[in-house]
Amino acid sequence: MFSNPFFTDLLFYAVAGAILLTAILVVTVKNVLQSAVFLIISFIGTAVLYLMLHAEFIAMVQVMVYAGGVVIFMVFTILLTSHLGETSFTVKAPRMFIAFVFSVAFFGVMTKLLLKEPGLTAAVPHSENSSSLTSIAMRLLNIGEHGFVIPFEIVSILLLITLVCSITIARKDKGEK
Amino acid sequence: MTLQNCLILAFLLFAIGIWGLLRRRHLIGMLISIEIMLNAANINFIAFSYFSAKDSTAGALFSLFAIAVTACEMAIALAIIVTMYRRHHSLDVNQLRDLHD
Repeated sequence: MFSNPFFTDLLFYAVAGAILLTAILVVTVKNVLQSAVFLIISFIGTAVLYLMLHAEFIAMVQVMVYAGGVVIFMVFTILLTSHLGETSFTVKAPRMFIAFVFSVAFFGVMTKLLLKEPGLTAAVPHSENSSSLTSIAMRLLNIGEHGFVIPFEIVSILLLITLVCSITIARKDKGEK
Repeated sequence: MTLQNCLILAFLLFAIGIWGLLRRRHLIGMLISIEIMLNAANINFIAFSYFSAKDSTAGALFSLFAIAVTACEMAIALAIIVTMYRRHHSLDVNQLRDLHD
């Protein structure tokens, strides 16, 4: 099915429409809890898009880290800090208008610059399975010239620092009840 | 599905993120909008690594590092939000103006 370009296009438009629809719902829905739930659907749609782009490992990481970790963490924080996310703050009309104008202007400028660029529609994927699990693992732990072992170690130290820092920040002070 | 389609999808997602970031006044809502924008950046990385890249494994690895840094950022930001709620009992950005006094 993936070999047929018509089906690939159809699937791409369906997935892109789902991602955009849920992203718009995330932004416009008043309840923050509902917005987090729509964010999960948007991330799963993005994972399907990654599968279509032959990045299977990234799709798995997307589902596990984003949809499984970050958004669930966010839902916990929403439930801790408000009563079922019912708080909807008042937004003034000029601010909504300015926000919409800014985003439309950004999209217009970027698309205008993109359409000037030739050769973007003719770009073809060069080789299959170039971002497979084996090649990612070989590059990630390679100590040679094109290896990524030092960023890998730095990210592991960063994760440890984040763990310690977030516990320190969120801990209650001694005088506090 | 061409490279141009993927890039336009990423631009649309980024524009939606800007819209939400400027529109919402809830701290967690603003964080969710930032998540959408980072997701758009990741789509760009993967699209460029699939189409017409000399080194497509490096593109996938860059998005992996971006995902890891985003997870760290979210953990710190949510810890700050919990602390702020405990001290001020509000997450409205308009009511947190007195932080700079």
